[in-house]
Amino acid sequence: MYTCKTPRGIRVTKQETLARKPQKILEKITEHLEKLNEKMEIMIELQKRGGTDVKPFLDAPLDVMTLLSMPDHLRKTAMAVCRLGRATAQEVADQTHRARAVESGYLNQLVIMGHLKKERMGRKAYFYVEKEDQG
Amino acid sequence: MGKIIAVHSYKGGTGKTHVSVNLAASFVKHGKKACLMDLDFRAPSLATFFNVEKAECWLNDYLNGTCKIDNAIIEIDQRIGSESKLSVALANPSTEAIRDMSAKDRKWEMRALGRLLALRNSLLNDKGFDYLIFDTSPGLQYSSINAIVSADLVIVAATFDRSDVEGTKRMLHELYDLFEKKTEIIMNRVLHDTSSKSGKDYVENMIKETYQTPVLGIIPCFCDVAKAEGSFIFVQEKPEHPFSKILDEMAGKIEKSNSA
Repeated sequence: MYTCKTPRGIRVTKQETLARKPQKILEKITEHLEKLNEKMEIMIELQKRGGTDVKPFLDAPLDVMTLLSMPDHLRKTAMAVCRLGRATAQEVADQTHRARAVESGYLNQLVIMGHLKKERMGRKAYFYVEKEDQG
Repeated sequence: MGKIIAVHSYKGGTGKTHVSVNLAASFVKHGKKACLMDLDFRAPSLATFFNVEKAECWLNDYLNGTCKIDNAIIEIDQRIGSESKLSVALANPSTEAIRDMSAKDRKWEMRALGRLLALRNSLLNDKGFDYLIFDTSPGLQYSSINAIVSADLVIVAATFDRSDVEGTKRMLHELYDLFEKKTEIIMNRVLHDTSSKSGKDYVENMIKETYQTPVLGIIPCFCDVAKAEGSFIFVQEKPEHPFSKILDEMAGKIEKSNSA
């Protein structure tokens, strides 16, 4: 019987290899679509701020006075991140009871405003309050 | 799951510290594990109240990131009830420390908020505390808003003083509501007759109408409390006094809503 090795060295049959391919392709497509969606959200936000050349604020600590001055919808998202420490859009959505896509938009907006940092790990994007100088 | 309670007020001198100490003592008396934390860094008072002159680590140090919270917690020697002891974390009362805390910038305050939020894991989840009680500074101070944001329940200690009433009303709508905090009012030093049920209901309705906020308790103006000059824990020393009974009732209400 024809067999081959996976990158991890596990021996699988040809049928198994063929069955895995469509799933991998779908995962890749989802990943690319999510990245595309994210970029579009950022572009929309930048356009709202008056053009694509607008630079995000680099130093905008998310302190309580900043939270107080925020519009309600962003404050809710920012507070959820503060509570969770480090979270995906889905995790924030679970706390705020709003749609993941809505939270994703608000989170990216907070990143552009310089209040949150974003880090991608594989397919997931994590949002967190700046912590490099937590001391 | 434990709860964080912030005791706050618009004006100073409304009895926050006295309420915080006795509420914490009442929880301990009823077998709960409670830690009282002095977050009034501009006018620390718990170190004096508990006669602590030197601490291995102050709450200031924890928020500065120079010590762990475990080292800032002190078990008070006086036993409350048969076995339990009250835990406290104190603000450094030295002038230098007060000056230092007044000069912190926004980034520091942001990190302080992160450290207060982290207490949920380190003390409630890992150490098994049932209640953390934050005694805050009055008004819109960074430290008190940090405490409010970190808390599950905000208890507002208010009086019928006119400027306090107006300020508290503003704070309810422009601070607690914005952070979507569960808020309850304690009306302190009430001069109306609340000895009868009808008298108590009248005052309670008046408070509810004024603030549109649930009332946790009404504390009449007791001369005995004023005479004690903050020298002992009322709930512990005078458990049969009406003041202690009211505080026990409040602790019971919080406990009930926590377990519901």
